[in-house]
Amino acid sequence: MKLTLLLWLALPLPAATFYVTVSGLGGEPEYETRFAGLATEAHKLVTGTPDAKAFLHSGILATKAKIRESFTQIATDAGPDDNLVVLLIGHGTFDGTDYKINLPGPDLSGVELAALLDRVKAKKQLVVNTTSASGASVASLQRPNRVVIAATKSGTERNATVFARFWVEALRDAGADADKNETVMALEAFRYADQKTVQYYERGKRIATEHAVLEDTGQGEAVRNPAPDNGHGLVASRTPLLRLGAAQKSAADPAKQQLLSKRDDVEQRIDQLKYNKAAMPAAEYRKQLQVLLVELAKVQKEIDQ
Amino acid sequence: MRWALLTAASLPFLGCVAYPAAERNPAAVQQVDKCWKMSRRGQTAEATSCFIALTTSKDAYLRAEGQWGVKNYTGANDQFKEAVKQHAQDPHVKVRWGRLFLERFNKEEASNLFEEALGLDKDDPEAMLGQAWVASEGFDKMAVELAGKALKQQEKYPEAHELLAKLALEDSNPKKAREEADLAIAQDAESLDAMAIHLTIDLLEDQPESAWGKKILAINPRYGRAWSMAAESFIHNRRYEEGIALYKKAIELDPGYLEAYSELGVNLMRLAREDEARQALEHAYQNGYRNAATVNSLTLIDSYKNFITYKHDRYTLRLHKKEAELLRPYMEEQMEKILASYDQKYGFRLKEHVQVEVYPDHADFAVRAIGIPGLGALGVTFGSIVAMDSPSGRPPGSFHWASTLWHEMSHVYTLTATKHRTPRWFTEGMAVYEETEASPDWGDRVDPLVLGAIKGKKLLPVAELERGFVRPSYNGQVIVSYFQAGRICNYIAEKWGPAKLVQMMKEFAGPVPTDAVIKKVLGLDAAEFDKQFLAWIDGHFKPLADGLDDWRKKLVTVSKAAKDKDWLVVLAEGPSLRKQYPDFVESGSVYELLAQAYEAKGDKKLAKAELKLYSDAGGRTPETLKKLAALQSEAGEKKEAAITLDRINLISPVLDEETHTRLATLWLEQGNYPGAVREYRAVVASKPADPAQARYNLAKSLDAAGRLDEAADEVLAALEAAPGFRPAQKLLLELTAKQEAAPTRKK
Repeated sequence: MKLTLLLWLALPLPAATFYVTVSGLGGEPEYETRFAGLATEAHKLVTGTPDAKAFLHSGILATKAKIRESFTQIATDAGPDDNLVVLLIGHGTFDGTDYKINLPGPDLSGVELAALLDRVKAKKQLVVNTTSASGASVASLQRPNRVVIAATKSGTERNATVFARFWVEALRDAGADADKNETVMALEAFRYADQKTVQYYERGKRIATEHAVLEDTGQGEAVRNPAPDNGHGLVASRTPLLRLGAAQKSAADPAKQQLLSKRDDVEQRIDQLKYNKAAMPAAEYRKQLQVLLVELAKVQKEIDQ
Repeated sequence: MRWALLTAASLPFLGCVAYPAAERNPAAVQQVDKCWKMSRRGQTAEATSCFIALTTSKDAYLRAEGQWGVKNYTGANDQFKEAVKQHAQDPHVKVRWGRLFLERFNKEEASNLFEEALGLDKDDPEAMLGQAWVASEGFDKMAVELAGKALKQQEKYPEAHELLAKLALEDSNPKKAREEADLAIAQDAESLDAMAIHLTIDLLEDQPESAWGKKILAINPRYGRAWSMAAESFIHNRRYEEGIALYKKAIELDPGYLEAYSELGVNLMRLAREDEARQALEHAYQNGYRNAATVNSLTLIDSYKNFITYKHDRYTLRLHKKEAELLRPYMEEQMEKILASYDQKYGFRLKEHVQVEVYPDHADFAVRAIGIPGLGALGVTFGSIVAMDSPSGRPPGSFHWASTLWHEMSHVYTLTATKHRTPRWFTEGMAVYEETEASPDWGDRVDPLVLGAIKGKKLLPVAELERGFVRPSYNGQVIVSYFQAGRICNYIAEKWGPAKLVQMMKEFAGPVPTDAVIKKVLGLDAAEFDKQFLAWIDGHFKPLADGLDDWRKKLVTVSKAAKDKDWLVVLAEGPSLRKQYPDFVESGSVYELLAQAYEAKGDKKLAKAELKLYSDAGGRTPETLKKLAALQSEAGEKKEAAITLDRINLISPVLDEETHTRLATLWLEQGNYPGAVREYRAVVASKPADPAQARYNLAKSLDAAGRLDEAADEVLAALEAAPGFRPAQKLLLELTAKQEAAPTRKK
């Protein structure tokens, strides 16, 4: 995912991605099953990716103490170039001051979670809080280079959410990788899950009781629609959530370095062309785009051979 | 809210006459009456002086009447607040205050005041008549009753007769309307509204040179209200163009008559003449006439910038931009089928250009239809203009949009063929009949409400069926009347042949009343027709209607068993229950419960068969139909699966990229490339989460259909979004090679 030409950077290949998935108390059998099922599926999906180190805390085992233990280990193991992805599923509460996710035993507050995250050296961190009232956790979790996604815009949206369901779907559905670069970035997954959530309410003519938000500047309010004009989305567009294919394999092949360099060059020219689109006659734009895309396709074909 | 500020001070008088009770201060009564009489006669300057004199009275009630007379509604409201304190036990003051509210668009508060007046005197005729006016605004049958009660309390009450005349006219009873109007005139020789009733009937009967117009103008040369009343009746009878001309005449006579501007604007909007409509509505609004219909209509006109118009030779589609590209192909396909079918069936080609407007927000549709939100209908037709709910405007499965479109378009033909003289029952009956003629699984099924009406012998004689639509006497009677009208058309088509329906349509253009048309076309009296029709209805529905209570009880048992997963009970009781009432396809139908039971028992074949029965019976819940399609696919019945999924497109094609994708895939496999293209276009138009994949799929189907240039455009769009998308890159290279091999094509 690239916001503009100026933001283009080849994706760094992280040493590892640490995933922590937590499903809290459901309160009712239906929710217990739903939360645990989603957490288990998410855990399974990320475990299958290269260099993943995944931790799952679900059901009665999802205690604050156990979660702390995992973070202690991650704080030891993770280096600055690694990624950290935390997914919270369950019921959240907000009393006007503190946000908490409901866990067996003592609940975990947003401030406590932030302290655990701060101990991890990984520079790129993504926290996806899909619980009810999760919007209230953004303020305590936000920090530069950390992407915070919440299923609700505030602590007052207290109904159980469906955002988690579509977030997990984003991990499963290759369609979430909108730019088809074989890596689902945090911003892509956010947009995917948010769109599906909105459609869920629209299609059923239900009143939307959740409005997902994203914050990745480390300051200010989280936003519904991250975009260059509100300054949000840049870090999220560069924070990988899940690598789908074997894109990194080619990069490891010295024989293909020249082709890769050529591909980068064509891609940058495509970005430049797209950047100038509004200022060009449509026919001319299409013509140039076709030439560049054909060139890119040919280079890619060579790389893949 | 009663204490709310009413409106600006510069509004014109809208026509309200006081008949104070005799026991009040005779001098004051005479003075108020004198002022209003001058106003009624159009003696504006004299009336204004008279009212101004009242504003200086020591009596707050008289000051209120004075302020009202000079159109200072806020001032009048303030004075009435004082007046009810000064005359706490006088119901007349409360009634007059209520009438002020009624005139200023607040019938709820008006009704409250009339009730309070009745609390002071339960027999107060003015308060009863006030309530009758409130009821009449909602076409409530109580209006007639209340006006009659008022007359029992006060024999000489011309306004009560005027109201009864108006109500009789609404009930398509011009004879009764004239009788009541005559009674009003006998009691008050200057009863202008009674004369307006006579004028209206003359005009409706195509007598443009009515003597009543001259009589009215002799009393008040500026009494535009009479022509406005006539206009309202023409609109009520779906004669929109003539109604609009009458509103214009009303304005010409009385340029200060803002209600006519507002109504003119609302009705011009109905005919999609938005520029003229805006002008009229803005005039009303800017001069302080700000009722809900005026304000809502102006807001809706402003929102048209969010709609896209697609013009064709014979029709125009106006679709909201958020779903225009998605709905367009489906609606165009249906419109083409409708026009071809009805042209042939009715034996004429519409001269008028049809406009179909589709609203994703039901409140907008309601404003479009009646000026205010709260309409229960799905579609409405004004001449050659059709407005309807979008499938996205209601929960999926709650209505069949294609069926609705066929219904509304039937009105266009019936209105045209009858020169807008059709009784409502006939045009609705034809429209309902056409829904199931288009496809047996379309149209509304026979519901328990209708069965209850059949059992309770509540169906109306055909000659009186109109009042089932206009002034229902029990809850749900409008729905029952739709059913009855539709079945009458079914019965006629079945017994005498469909050509008789077309013949009846021509006769109604006369205009000729229902009983005469029945006699002439079918050769029997209306009473005999009713006898035969009811026997036919009984033959079809009596056993079901009689056994409805028993069916309900059994359904509860089977539903509970399904909930408890007691499949043996479901399988034992379900089939006979379904057979007893096969039209019941609502949520929780026996079909669905049986399908669940078969699946639970591992018998997918029977589950599939059951859901197929559900679909054929008119079941329209998209999720259930998707289930059927999945079972059909699984069984290798790909063609049947595609038919099932395509049926969903006519019910709920929006916000469902999954179904479009599945159908496109099936059609691509079956070599139905145009179908696949349409469905993949629908996916693209659904603004999918993965636009690159959607564009790529579309490009593939276009390529398969041999539409290389369009395929190239789509694959470029896919790659523009995702330059590294490998399958699209491969397709681009293939398409480029094909294009190079065919040099005449666009590159």
